[in-house]
Amino acid sequence: MNRQELQALAGKAKGKHEQFKHKICVCCGASCISSGSEEVLKKLQEEIKTRGLENEVEVIPSGCMGPCNQGPLMKYLPEQTIYQKVDCNNITAIVQSQLIEKKPIEELLLFADSREKPFVNSNEDPFFKRQMKIALKDCGDINPENIEDYLAAGGYRALEKAFFLLSPEEVIAEVKQSRMRGRGGAGYPTGLKWETVYKYVSDQKYVICNGDEGDPGAFMDRSVLEGNPHRVLEGMVIAGYAVGSSKGYAYIRGEYPLAIKRFELAIKQATKLGLLGKNILGSNFSFDIEVRIGAGAFVCGEETALIASIEGKRGTPRPRPPFPAEAGLWGKPTLINNVETFAGIAPIITNGGEWYSETGTPKSAGTKVFALAGKIKYSGLIEVPMGTTLREIVFDIGGGVQNGGDFKAAQTGGPSGGCIPAEHLDVKMDYESLISLGSIMGSGGLIIMDKSSDMVDVARYFMEFCMDESCGKCVPCRVGTKMMHDLLQKICDNKGTQIDLDRLEELAVYVKETSLCGLGASAPNPLLSTLRHFRKEYENRIMNHQ
Amino acid sequence: MNTIPITINDKKLDVDPAKTILEVCRENDIEILTMCHLKGIIDIGACRLCLVEIEGINKLLSACTTKVAANMVVKTSTERIKKYQRITAELFFAERNHVCSVCVANGKCELQQLGYKVEMDHIRYPHLFPHCEVDTSHPWYVMDHNRCIMCTRCVRVCNEVEGAHNWDVMNRGHQVRIISDFNTPWGESITCTSCGKCLHACPTGAIWPKAIVQGQLEKKPEIISELMEKRKMKL
Ligand SMILES: Cc1cc2nc3c(=O)[nH]c(=O)nc-3n(C[C@H](O)[C@H](O)[C@H](O)COP(=O)(O)O)c2cc1C
Ligand code: SF4
Ligand code: SF4
Ligand code: SF4
Ligand code: FES
Repeated sequence: MNRQELQALAGKAKGKHEQFKHKICVCCGASCISSGSEEVLKKLQEEIKTRGLENEVEVIPSGCMGPCNQGPLMKYLPEQTIYQKVDCNNITAIVQSQLIEKKPIEELLLFADSREKPFVNSNEDPFFKRQMKIALKDCGDINPENIEDYLAAGGYRALEKAFFLLSPEEVIAEVKQSRMRGRGGAGYPTGLKWETVYKYVSDQKYVICNGDEGDPGAFMDRSVLEGNPHRVLEGMVIAGYAVGSSKGYAYIRGEYPLAIKRFELAIKQATKLGLLGKNILGSNFSFDIEVRIGAGAFVCGEETALIASIEGKRGTPRPRPPFPAEAGLWGKPTLINNVETFAGIAPIITNGGEWYSETGTPKSAGTKVFALAGKIKYSGLIEVPMGTTLREIVFDIGGGVQNGGDFKAAQTGGPSGGCIPAEHLDVKMDYESLISLGSIMGSGGLIIMDKSSDMVDVARYFMEFCMDESCGKCVPCRVGTKMMHDLLQKICDNKGTQIDLDRLEELAVYVKETSLCGLGASAPNPLLSTLRHFRKEYENRIMNHQ
Repeated sequence: MNTIPITINDKKLDVDPAKTILEVCRENDIEILTMCHLKGIIDIGACRLCLVEIEGINKLLSACTTKVAANMVVKTSTERIKKYQRITAELFFAERNHVCSVCVANGKCELQQLGYKVEMDHIRYPHLFPHCEVDTSHPWYVMDHNRCIMCTRCVRVCNEVEGAHNWDVMNRGHQVRIISDFNTPWGESITCTSCGKCLHACPTGAIWPKAIVQGQLEKKPEIISELMEKRKMKL
């Protein structure tokens, strides 16, 4: 397929959608599927057929819409009306009143059981109103298994623009101007990383998409891969073009079978249309992508361990320098970015780096996807501009603490992050602000805790995770996490002493500063941050055994 | 030869840019403690004893894996590093079951020497006392996991020097163990050539020949280094 044919196909796909008066999306993300959305989809398709509405109403399985706890979710477009906890028994009634009588059934709408008055247009609901979707745009509105849906939504136009209107240097300049930072955790400037890889001269370079997502409770990358795989794929091809690579790997964890299936399907579809493979769109640029499946080790999300794993070796990190940009996969210059990072590339190329940089804060541009969980009224997947305050996320979007409880702390960054106490609810969610409080942005896990949470136990839980997930290569992490865990367990069991606490603090700093890779270097963070903000709880355990 | 200027502990040196910080230090009599390093095999930066401070880099880097760079300013054995080396030594001892008085390597053990070097008068952390096996299935050699510190020198020597790849690592975290083949007794290994190189590479009393008794062990890790030097020269 060449450029003109792509444009024609996109136009045709768009026209096809415009024939329909209505579109109904049934969420077929992993979470909604587990609550029965596939049967709902089937039943709905039958219902539309029996009513003879096939030419008027388009029914599609879509990706994640966000409020996963309320699934299965069903969305009516263009009205943006979402029904929650849909089951096969109320489909007939919903179709009858929503489509035929044009009277939504209020008690079945999203959040009907908890809001005084649910919103017919979900975009007006505070859960969605405060959000801004860039990485998740189209996720939940298109069929992830159909490339034409993506094309109709403007997909692969960024790739076309990059290939035919921009040089690799110009693509990199746009990404640099966007001031986007990597969403995998460390927040390294994406444009700078691309430029570094671009500058190395080599017969072969690689692009790797990190979809290992090992933080407990995190599902941002899974949702993107499941809901809009073509977007990630497009980002990878553009990256390949920019840095001068012809081969990409998508490393996706084995626990995500649906994400793997959909990404592999996306590769097949894109290859068929000539958007991947030899001489893409008739240009002289070729790029292939292969999927590699991770075996579920947290440490394999660390870039050098991931590379070792792709090479077929034991997945353990190695010291940097040299960084992968210089010597990565098979010793060649390698660009490695996170799923969400790649998902942000197409909009940057389409709308320009400057457009992207206008959202967010001066040092943290754009938006961030969070997996909101824990003791929060409305949990799920959200995307907000960087710099949105924690308070806005918890109380406006999340509807506050469950059962009217009191907010105690928010845990960000998973096992590598820390806890933010109530007095810092007005912290801006951006890289620097979170670091200044002793936590990190991480990949976007956000767990809300109420008064029932015991912070020493929270620290112990995350230390146990790091202890179990340590690869065992270097001494500080291998033995240090075990020692810290045992000391924390001792304090939790009310057997700790002041000396234990001193040892714990000394070990924490030691492990942080001496570990070989980021896992060990950040493993003490939950401990250090709870010590900083909730020291009283530790002392209470030691002095008063409570 | 092209050289670059670097500074180590206020000493100005002109060095070969292909060398690591550790190599440069060793050539210039600057002491750096090491454990997982063995000259001749590939460095992995695992024991973290050789960490150094480098101006302008906020992380401590392992001297054995970090190449020198022009105008690099390095500090070794600072108070902070010394403190960390002592903790590392203590963690080594607390991790498995080290009873020097009854160990074949007593007096000849690199771990024991490390303890003296960092002035470890006692161990402040609780001993983990894990259950460890002693594999005596090999006709001539013994593998005692109680004394193993997971430096993987044996793994690398067997793989890189002997080319047999009998040894490898299994499990994760503090559960890691050195295994022979696919975790079968050493004596049943189909890859081991019984060359004895791992014996000499091993810094502790973990691998030793059956023919000796307590305190009689002679280890010569330098034979590995010399062998590799000779191979290089032949090339
Ligand atoms: C223990 C550990 C686990 C990690 N897990 C992930 C992961 O699951 N996904 C990810 O994208 N990055 C992960 N990272 C970060 C990667 O090493 C790397 O920095 C990232 O993929 C770079 O992409 P970015 O620049 O787009 O953020 C992890 C890092 C560490 C130290
Ligand atoms: S810090 Fe932990 S995970 Fe990283 S190399 Fe060391 S032992 Fe392995
Ligand atoms: S004796 Fe030689 S071949 Fe056998 S395990 Fe040791 S190094 Fe490998
Ligand atoms: S057996 Fe010896 S050489 Fe092998 S890892 Fe253990 S201590 Fe190191
Ligand atoms: S000698 Fe450098 S880390 Fe072990």
